Amino acid sequence: MSFSTRIAAELRGDRVVWAILVLLGLFSILAVYSSTGTLAYRERGGNTEAYLFKHGIILAAGFVVTYFAHLLHYRRYMNWSPVLLPMAIILLLYTMMLGPVINEARRWIVLPVIGLSFQTSDFAKLALIIYVARAISSKQDYIEDFRSAFLPIIVPVVVVCGLIAPADLSTSIILFLACLLMMFVGRVALKYIGLLMVTGGVVFVLLIMLGRTFPEHIRVATWESRLQQFYSPEPGGEDTYQIDQAKIALGNGGLTGVGPGNSTQRNYLPYAHADFIYAVICEEYGVLGGATIIGLYLLLFFRVTRLITKSPKAFGAMVAMGLSLVIVVQAFFHIGINVNLLPVTGLTLPLISMGGTSLLFTCIAFGIILSVSKYIESVAE
Amino acid sequence: MDIKNEVLYRVYFLLFGLLLPAAGFLLYSTVNIAILEGEHWREQGRQNYVKPRAVPAERGNIYALDGSLLATSVPYFDLYFDPFASSEADYYANVDTLSYLLATYVDNTYTPGGFRDYLIQLRDTSNNRRMNRNVPLKKSVSFSEKSRIQSFPLFNKGQFRGGLIAKKLSGRKRPFGLLARRTIGYVREDKQPVGLEGRFDSILGGQEGTQMMIKVDPQSDLWLPLNDLSEVEPRSGDDIVTTIDVNLQDIAEEALLAGMRRHQPDWGTAIVMDVETGAIRAIANLGRDDAGEGYYEMYNYAIAMATEPGSTFKLATMMALLEDGHVKLTDSVDIEKGKTIFYEIEMEDASSYSFKLDSITVQRAFEISSNVGMAKLVDRFYNLPDNGNKNKGAYQYLQRIRDFNLDLPTNIELEGEANPYLKNAYSEEDQWSLVTLPWMATGYEVRLTPLQTLTFYNAVANNGRMMKPYLVSRVERNGETVDIMKPTVVKKAIASKSTIEKARLLLEGVVERGTASKLRTNQYRFAGKTGTAQVNYSRSSRGTRVGGYQASFAGYFPADKPKYSCIVVVYKPREGGIYGGDVAGPIFREIADKCFNSMIDLHDPLNDGPRPVLYERNLPGFELGEEKDMRMVLDYLDIPYYGNPETPMVVMSASSDSLFIQNRTMSESKVPSVVGMGLRDAVFVLENRGLKVITEGAGRVVRQSIRPGTSTRGQTIKLTLG
Repeated sequence: MSFSTRIAAELRGDRVVWAILVLLGLFSILAVYSSTGTLAYRERGGNTEAYLFKHGIILAAGFVVTYFAHLLHYRRYMNWSPVLLPMAIILLLYTMMLGPVINEARRWIVLPVIGLSFQTSDFAKLALIIYVARAISSKQDYIEDFRSAFLPIIVPVVVVCGLIAPADLSTSIILFLACLLMMFVGRVALKYIGLLMVTGGVVFVLLIMLGRTFPEHIRVATWESRLQQFYSPEPGGEDTYQIDQAKIALGNGGLTGVGPGNSTQRNYLPYAHADFIYAVICEEYGVLGGATIIGLYLLLFFRVTRLITKSPKAFGAMVAMGLSLVIVVQAFFHIGINVNLLPVTGLTLPLISMGGTSLLFTCIAFGIILSVSKYIESVAE
Repeated sequence: MDIKNEVLYRVYFLLFGLLLPAAGFLLYSTVNIAILEGEHWREQGRQNYVKPRAVPAERGNIYALDGSLLATSVPYFDLYFDPFASSEADYYANVDTLSYLLATYVDNTYTPGGFRDYLIQLRDTSNNRRMNRNVPLKKSVSFSEKSRIQSFPLFNKGQFRGGLIAKKLSGRKRPFGLLARRTIGYVREDKQPVGLEGRFDSILGGQEGTQMMIKVDPQSDLWLPLNDLSEVEPRSGDDIVTTIDVNLQDIAEEALLAGMRRHQPDWGTAIVMDVETGAIRAIANLGRDDAGEGYYEMYNYAIAMATEPGSTFKLATMMALLEDGHVKLTDSVDIEKGKTIFYEIEMEDASSYSFKLDSITVQRAFEISSNVGMAKLVDRFYNLPDNGNKNKGAYQYLQRIRDFNLDLPTNIELEGEANPYLKNAYSEEDQWSLVTLPWMATGYEVRLTPLQTLTFYNAVANNGRMMKPYLVSRVERNGETVDIMKPTVVKKAIASKSTIEKARLLLEGVVERGTASKLRTNQYRFAGKTGTAQVNYSRSSRGTRVGGYQASFAGYFPADKPKYSCIVVVYKPREGGIYGGDVAGPIFREIADKCFNSMIDLHDPLNDGPRPVLYERNLPGFELGEEKDMRMVLDYLDIPYYGNPETPMVVMSASSDSLFIQNRTMSESKVPSVVGMGLRDAVFVLENRGLKVITEGAGRVVRQSIRPGTSTRGQTIKLTLG
């Protein structure tokens, strides 16, 4: 048995999703290596391979994580849910109160013993999606009931999103939106969803009011200035600098791009390897590269839709959809920022941007999706 | 509708109603920016980050007459150190050797141990100090020094693994140091350009090129050249070859500095000019520094300071009188024992010769620099009432002065030349009075720079032909001459031939018999005029109050065939005399002596005649020395000799017309005779036999305190040299 057939035999589940994972990983390696050049010169004395190796190792570790995550039966995740969600809430509270301030916000905690720092919201995302998927699927029979179905679903969503929002509003909004769409698909009554949107709005307004009282914990001032920049930019001013750089990158790329490693805008784009990696990809690989990225994320969701057609009510289908929604919505938000459809905020492109823990959690998400596809397909057969 | 279908419808709505349109919208936006608006954004990018950048041109060199470099551009380096570039293992493995080498060769302010502590502290981050990755190590390091430091352990691993950062800069270096510093000058930002560097900036500077460059990193000033056709190569600056002779310049500066130390003046200057061409061979300027401790080239006094010249101006007065036929050298003038009164104002002679003399010849009056004599002659022949005749009276005198070009600047190629000041005849505006002419005759009420005075004296030395002084003789590009500055004749004859001859006779007389007779030498003859001018004086009928003196000497050498002219001006000497003959004259002599010694073409060859016959009495006899030294000298002089001695020390003897070298044996245990030996040989011989040598005098050994043949017991022997 040859090595490739051995691997193919090892990898269960939807081959297309595996392919999407590998292709995104490939783009990731290329784009990160290209866009960390100046960073390497500033921080590592010109050792450009330092970031390549670091990122490559994390990506490889991520694939390994995906592999093991897809071996587990997805019901396991469902069973862990009652533990995971409270843990996430505690971690979020801890982060908000005691986490170190990095880039003016408390988003990270440092794990004791290992010394690895990770973004608690990544963990919370996973926990919340699993919880919501489980709740929706288990309450399908009386899903339209307010008290017994809607409330138990919605309270954790509001709590988790509310805890993430002060330090990281964009992640919170994405997560909220993903949960909303999950509920929509899971047949929650539209009037409740409408109510939920109102609730979300109210929580947001509350947060702003709280933020004026505790500016250290809630970054209201940042949100305000970002929104102001987006809606009434001063032409040529400092405010439009980032987005102008992104547009120049796109313009340089044109249809086919300037070629791998030839980006010039990577030197001008702040956090080119994270928040503006879509612009770098578009500069180096052109509109074709950008379209490929958009297509890959869309294809991911399309494959998940296929799972739902096979077992619409199951927890598995629901969790796969929720996880893919979080990935796709974040990707679309990232791209939207890069093409000036949304106000600038630090949002990574899932699986492509450099960044350790969020990449690992995305890989876990892929693993769960693959696990679901593996079992649903075997049942369908 | 069952549950399954409802879920499916909703999912389809989500996919096709929300996500697909969103994806389409994102794609449309991407296409819109990248392609439809693409040109606009590309242009925006070009405008912001692609700019034509100046490519600096290499600056030309400044050469001396003989081709030695006076100023050139060299790269130098500022060294920095990044303690975190190397791995921890490398760092600590090399820190001992590195700190020893750094403390020894780079920065002596630390001991090796101190350096080691410093290096370890730099690498230490335990107390959360900010990492300093750009620790200054040493500034302005030459290429060779940088190369050596780069070979130190750890540093030899290169910048990224060793941590040595060398930032290249370009600087102007003067290989001769301070030599002619002010004349070579400089061009610096925010400063008035000075000297030849300033005047010839456009030639030396070349032409900047331009090249389209793209800014690589917005946070640092890093630019990457773009290869396109708009590139304009920089044109390197041309070199200029000056007339400065580094040897003469050195002689002039040394002599001037020695004189300055003797006399402690405010400032002094010395210029040496080539008589035939007007080329300036040396120009030294020394001024007292602000602390009053030393003297430095800080201002070009030679060309920028116009002062009342004093007695050196009397040459112009005499030449005017001679040229107008008013006097002959043999006419007599009554100098009234060196003191007289002109229109109620008293005039005195400065020199001590005058106070016993009354009626003397005009020539003698000039030689002893009699103010009274000169003033009386000018007063008699020129100080007439203004009758409008432009060829009479003061008009006539001033016209002569103008004939000598003493009213015009020399236009030397340096910025900042002061204009001469000359009053207009009878001009009320210039405060002309009855005493103006008598005082002008002696060098007051007129102002000249040292260079202007020298240009006039040079014309006299050059048989009346006045040359424009100049400093730059050639412009070269890549070693090929592109422009030659030929000597310029300002005036073919400033006076008639006979006047020039008489003027030179007068100047020779000053040295032979007059105020400079102390400076006379037998080696060669020179001619010149002393000057002692009062400065900061106020004049009244009761006499003159003086705030100091300016001593000067202007002249040329050799007197009969002038090769160089030279002027020395010393302003406000405080010690060791005030007179031109005492202060400036000796400096002039020193310069002239050394010039003369170095001018081989001016000396008669020693072996000009037929080869002399060797006689016993003029052959050297009883010379002691080592055999091989003796042979070398005799072979070099091509003197035949005989003998084949076997001892290392030999003695030379002469008989009839032949030379012999013979054995010279010395007992190991007895004191030998060392009479006739040089000190080196004598000490060698004696101390090898255990004696202690003390000496007295200089020359060869003429006497020794212990008789030859005495046994040696480590005595002290006294040698008298003579």
